[in-house]
Amino acid sequence: MSNINRRDFLKVLGWSSVAVAVAGCGKTSVESGVETVMSYSQPEDFLVPSIGVYYASTCTQCEANCGVTGRVREGRILKLEGNPESAINLGRLCGLGQAAVQHHYNPDRLKEPLLRQGGGLQPTTWENATALLAEKTGDLKGEQFAFLSGGLSGHLKVLVQNYVDSLGSKNLYFYEALTPAVNQSVSQKLYGTATPRFHLDKAQLIVSFGADFLDTWVSPVHFASQYTQFRKATIDKKRGTLVQIEPRMTLTGANADRWIPIIPGTEGVLALGLVNALLKGGIGVKSLPASVVSAVRAYDKERVNKEAGVSGEVFDKLVALLSERSPSLVLSGLSAEGHAHGAQNAAAIMLLNVVLGNVGKTIDAPTRLPFPQLAAEEGNSVALKRFNDSLAGDKFKVVFIYNANPVYTAPAFMKLRDNLKKSEFKVVFTHYLDETAQEADLVLPLDSALEDWGTHVAAYQPDSIELTMQQPLMEKLYPSGTRSLGDVMLDQLKHRRANEYKDFADYYAYLKSALTRNKGAFSGVSADDETFWNQALMHGVLKVKGQEQSISANVVNLDIAQPAPIGDDQYPFHLVPTVRSGFRDGRHANLPWLQETPDSLTTMVWDSWVEIHPKTAERMGIKEGDILEIASKNGSIKTQAYLFPGVQPDSVAIPLGQGHEAMGRYAKDVGVNPFKLLDPVFDKSTGELAMHATRVKVSRTGASVRVVKEEGWSPIVVNTQQGRKLVSTIAVDKANFSKEV
Amino acid sequence: MNHLNKEKDIREDIAWAQINKDVLRSLEKPRPVYWVLFGLALSMFLVGVGCEIYQYQTGMGVANMNNPHMWGLYIATFIFWIGMSHSGTLLSAILHLMHADWRKPIYRFAEAMTTFSLMTAGLFVMVHLGRLWQFYYALPYPNERWTWPNFQSPLLWDAMAIFTYLTSSIIFLYIGAIPDFAICRDNAKGWRKNFYTILALGWMGTDRQWRNFRITYLTVACFLIPLAVSVHSIVASDFAMSQQPGWHVTSFPPYFVAGALYSGCAAIITLFIVLRYTFRFEEYMTMPILDKVARLTFAIAMVWTYLNLIEFASVWYGHDSYSKDLLIQKATGPYAPFWWTMIVCGSIVPFALAIKKFRSSLTIMFIVSLLLNLGMWLERWMIVAPTYSHGYYPWTWDHFQWPSFVQWGMVFGSFGWFGMLFMIFTKLVPSVSMYEVKEMVYHRTLANKESREA
Amino acid sequence: MSTTYMLRDWTKLRETHPQPSPAGGHAEYKWAMAINLDVCTGCNACSVACYAENNLPVVGKEKYAHGQSMHWMRIERYWNEEDVETPHQGAQFLPMMCQQCEAAPCETVCPVGATNHTPDGLNSQVYNRCVGSRYCSANCPYKVRYFNWYDYPEQEMAWPDPLPMQLNPDLTVRSKGVMEKCTFCVQRLTAAKNTARNEGRTVKDGEVTTACAQACPTQAITFGNMVDPYSQVSEKWRHQQVELHKDVQDKDKSGDSGLRGYRVFEELRSYPSVMYLERVRDTKA
Ligand SMILES: Nc1nc2c(c(=O)[nH]1)N[C@H]1C(S)=C(S)[C@@H](COP(=O)(O)OP(=O)(O)OC[C@H]3O[C@@H](n4cnc5c(=O)[nH]c(N)nc54)[C@H](O)[C@@H]3O)O[C@H]1N2
Ligand code: SF4
Ligand code: SF4
Ligand code: SF4
Ligand code: SF4
Ligand code: SF4
Repeated sequence: MSNINRRDFLKVLGWSSVAVAVAGCGKTSVESGVETVMSYSQPEDFLVPSIGVYYASTCTQCEANCGVTGRVREGRILKLEGNPESAINLGRLCGLGQAAVQHHYNPDRLKEPLLRQGGGLQPTTWENATALLAEKTGDLKGEQFAFLSGGLSGHLKVLVQNYVDSLGSKNLYFYEALTPAVNQSVSQKLYGTATPRFHLDKAQLIVSFGADFLDTWVSPVHFASQYTQFRKATIDKKRGTLVQIEPRMTLTGANADRWIPIIPGTEGVLALGLVNALLKGGIGVKSLPASVVSAVRAYDKERVNKEAGVSGEVFDKLVALLSERSPSLVLSGLSAEGHAHGAQNAAAIMLLNVVLGNVGKTIDAPTRLPFPQLAAEEGNSVALKRFNDSLAGDKFKVVFIYNANPVYTAPAFMKLRDNLKKSEFKVVFTHYLDETAQEADLVLPLDSALEDWGTHVAAYQPDSIELTMQQPLMEKLYPSGTRSLGDVMLDQLKHRRANEYKDFADYYAYLKSALTRNKGAFSGVSADDETFWNQALMHGVLKVKGQEQSISANVVNLDIAQPAPIGDDQYPFHLVPTVRSGFRDGRHANLPWLQETPDSLTTMVWDSWVEIHPKTAERMGIKEGDILEIASKNGSIKTQAYLFPGVQPDSVAIPLGQGHEAMGRYAKDVGVNPFKLLDPVFDKSTGELAMHATRVKVSRTGASVRVVKEEGWSPIVVNTQQGRKLVSTIAVDKANFSKEV
Repeated sequence: MNHLNKEKDIREDIAWAQINKDVLRSLEKPRPVYWVLFGLALSMFLVGVGCEIYQYQTGMGVANMNNPHMWGLYIATFIFWIGMSHSGTLLSAILHLMHADWRKPIYRFAEAMTTFSLMTAGLFVMVHLGRLWQFYYALPYPNERWTWPNFQSPLLWDAMAIFTYLTSSIIFLYIGAIPDFAICRDNAKGWRKNFYTILALGWMGTDRQWRNFRITYLTVACFLIPLAVSVHSIVASDFAMSQQPGWHVTSFPPYFVAGALYSGCAAIITLFIVLRYTFRFEEYMTMPILDKVARLTFAIAMVWTYLNLIEFASVWYGHDSYSKDLLIQKATGPYAPFWWTMIVCGSIVPFALAIKKFRSSLTIMFIVSLLLNLGMWLERWMIVAPTYSHGYYPWTWDHFQWPSFVQWGMVFGSFGWFGMLFMIFTKLVPSVSMYEVKEMVYHRTLANKESREA
Repeated sequence: MSTTYMLRDWTKLRETHPQPSPAGGHAEYKWAMAINLDVCTGCNACSVACYAENNLPVVGKEKYAHGQSMHWMRIERYWNEEDVETPHQGAQFLPMMCQQCEAAPCETVCPVGATNHTPDGLNSQVYNRCVGSRYCSANCPYKVRYFNWYDYPEQEMAWPDPLPMQLNPDLTVRSKGVMEKCTFCVQRLTAAKNTARNEGRTVKDGEVTTACAQACPTQAITFGNMVDPYSQVSEKWRHQQVELHKDVQDKDKSGDSGLRGYRVFEELRSYPSVMYLERVRDTKA
């Protein structure tokens, strides 16, 4: 296996080679030489008809970068499975990751470059397109160029960076709508690292403030495997207890031993209340400077009750749990950090870890990556704001956009679509004609993630650092229609920095050379270049020799002060934009498996909905399926009501990801897009868009539909088990774990 | 027979030739309403055919069935028609053995009902199949794959029972009509002559022929009765043998048979009135006979009600919470309007039959018979549907699945099909048994003579 | 000849399943599962895996609205009856698919014998044979059978080009009018058995698993052969004292054992091959 030349493999294994001769008159595609027939009578020794062969690669569906193995048969990639060699996912794969094959085979993929001509986008050739790129950037001033990219790591990031540098531009923006950027900045201040390692498996108690680590947060598959260990009772450890505090129940919340609904934005108040109570109980007093100790005195049970809506009883239980169970782990998630005081909120929450002595036990420093140029740029929303502001100021003549759909994800108040128009030449590298591509002057279709080469270094590294390999799992579906961004960048760099890049025939050659030259940086690899390379591809994972670091907490300059709550009579509800594991920021909404997979909690499919607490709904006379208008100061959307007990009664929640105006048959005109509603509120410390700080009002439109959902249809409450023993629950102190294996 | 009965089942002074004339007339020129009814039946049938073509090509999904609503109106209506088929057997076989003379003018069309409703029921088994084109997989025929159907499946018993019942009832109908075919033969001209000549099998009315005829007829009648009972017991097994709440009921077989006789009787009343009017059969289908049928219907209605109550009681006092849940659901849930209509039509409306004044009004009897049939149809639907919507597994409970127009269309069409067959039948076969009416008249004359002598 | 075959077959039909032994009387293989509800998070990864592995069609919104979806593995979400208003103890998730009953109610009722108990202890579904009477589904207590209400491959939603290239050639794409359901990924089992047979042995524990078990991020699903007493799944069943052939487990007769293993609707005597382990909640939290 290790001696296979990957290039040859692709040459023989190609889709085009599985040609079917058309019966009848005239020359078939085979006879005319358009397609070639490969005989199975003398197949390559690695290609056995009807036998699936597995090739390793990396999942690029989210920032976790799990390792995958793709099952390839007769030249087709059939299914993705987890790569057991990756410490990130240990052979497991989430639904989103598995659905990557549907990006690859998506019927709405772009098959040729499109150029704006006479108002519309018309097909063009890659030759034209690349010539145009060189032409438009030829004598451009650096500051007139901007490159907006989604999160990126590895060698593609280096190429993109170098390309932007080669234009003399500083305008490379990494934009992601849903990264924990505020948390990371607070982590950086408090722990000295933006991405500390968490050891859920070692914790006896996890208290998570909206961190949906089982479904959408940071590295869900990895956390899920840790969660299994966390829940397991062994001789040395009891079954861990999970408490989740958030305004809208996430999947993690749904799995908690205690789920506590909280008024959005008051997480810090509760956290400081807990700190205060713990200190009073004599816990962690020495860990904090006097200034902090006195600062938290103002937060008592009554204030928590009043501001956060968490009852005294629940509060006391929580204090007791935190005092008794050690080590514990306190996490801060998206719903906690998405406020104007998001950083203070996150700081208050993380302070609990300091008080409880978790730092160094369940929170650890990551290994240091020896080549920072390959490190992940996770992206954030400040990047979008800066990019948009400059667009508005008419600063950019030429704009490149890759792996981002800002026209869809930018809130309405940013007016990004209009601002983008000001730029003369907008190039969008994409797989689909999405909302942003529709605005472009040149749309360049990319190879799918399963056709492309690449390297990735995930931002969150659970163990020592892994560099994961991405390799094509089959021949390109549209060999002349799509290209790799790596190849495009390299091609452009050859124009600008010919000396540096002339040795690399293509992106593949560049990658291979870059890695083999540095093979010393990896542990346990062969000295021989070819063997090293083949091993890398076979295993899909390279272990980087990194330097271990230690962690310590520094609370001195931590800003934990919580603002007084502000009411809003006109817009009485808090808007909770929820992240769906399948869609994330909407970029996967065109995957039919994921549209058809019911939302885990509401069981809704193929649409958007607004979640409203049954009590609130009753008060307002709202029934399931009523079309409600949800209006913020910046826009309004209409969607169906779903009565959901897992939402805080003063909040309404709308899932993100739907409401596309474009992006193919599976996504277009399905549901609504709550990004558009967001208020211009920014975290004061980082400038991040505060995703959970929007206020809305809710009104009935009078219309009503029958919602499409998986759970049973009955006028009586069927969403319980009706007294039948389907899911049985046992109290932890009654359970006998001694026999479990 | 009560000789003191003032109202006579039939006038004893009808000339035999008059009987022949009256009945044979029905084979020639009916009232125009016949053609109206026939046209109506044909168009109803065509609606059903259209629906089936659409469903066949597109898939069963257009019937708006789903998981869990795997069966719908097709099976409910199937049971309804099987039930309907019991009319003929009851009147001709059972009452024949019981020497109830009054059955004679009406048993022929009741027998035809049996045959045609079985043929209609069979259609529902077919249109219900997801792969109609492979229906023969369910037949036990030797084949090169050495595969047999699953003899454990009540559905297979069903297929066999219905097939046997259908064959037997056709034979029964045919045998019973041979003397009448001979009369037709003797009176017919043109193609009809040949047609009835073949059907009459050379009937000359010799003593030997009559003797053989009587024995054969009696034998088939004896054979048919257990068949009729078994066929609906087996249909009941489709449900009773399953493991589902609401279906797994021990009393289902007798309950189904009672329901079948009930709906059969109700349908006889309906058709009695229709035929009496259409073919001017007032002389034969007399009010006293209708009165007897109505009283019989009332008695069966009470049996049915009793068996219903037994079922409720056994569910209520039993320990199966699933079934109890379901029963409460039937009475209070979204199906409640239908369920209560069934109770009212099935158990309350028949009390109208207990009132003599109502029994003597054709209009009231017609309406009542239609209501009884509605109740009986609803009964079948209320057996099938609620178990699906509210069975063991709450996750799949679905109380809103409403049959689509395709299902309704085929139910509708089935009445057209039945009506059409029946109309054709009445034009080809004497729908009143001439020789038996003659017998009846003769018996009455004898009886009158006896009483006069006494 | 065909009659003798039929009669011979009948004697087999009379064999009762399961027999009182850990593997229910199966000789080489008895495939079974154990699903730990304490770690099942309800994430649906298993369900997507099943779509990918088993060529399940996407039916689209309209047909979904009619309850005509095709997910062999469905994740059910229940709320606690005591606190429906605010679910303080979270939700209750249940991955539900064909329980591969040892005495399957769906089998006896099928008029054509299209669904049968296999020597490996599976409930097989023979698509070619199925006439689409749907009686099996009517009698399945778990309602895990899915019917091809339409010709899904022909439906615009399911597999427009080039999506069909993803289809797994190891099994069919089912056509209009046949019943289907979870098969325990029988194509994988067959392949593993063939490999093992060629090597003169039986399949080793861990050598084959189902797509859902393989994907599950929390490893909630354990799959294996109960004939092998040392397989993980055998050990789990044994330690939970859940016996395949019993409808009331001994441990439940003698009060609270604290053991978490149970089967859904065990009292119906369908003898499911899937054992669930109870969800656990910390009452102090
Ligand atoms: N039990 C048993 N086994 C046997 C034999 C036997 O008699 N009995 N005979 C043996 C013999 S002699 C032979 S030749 C083999 C045959 O063995 P196979 O070659 O496996 O036979 P088929 O099933 O006829 O065809 C294989 C597949 O080719 C697909 N196919 C059809 N046309 C095309 C096409 O144009 N292009 C592509 N790519 N695929 C196509 C078909 O759909 C089918 O899925 O079986 C051998 N095995
Ligand atoms: S967590 Fe992210 S990287 Fe991992 S499999 Fe899922 S989508 Fe892919
Ligand atoms: S779960 Fe249902 S489909 Fe599966 S074997 Fe049991 S009865 Fe049959
Ligand atoms: S649907 Fe198919 S498998 Fe099910 S009972 Fe009918 S024929 Fe048998
Ligand atoms: S065992 Fe296989 S067929 Fe069954 S649910 Fe899991 S993946 Fe689907
Ligand atoms: S993949 Fe595992 S954790 Fe997720 S729903 Fe399925 S069984 Fe549960």
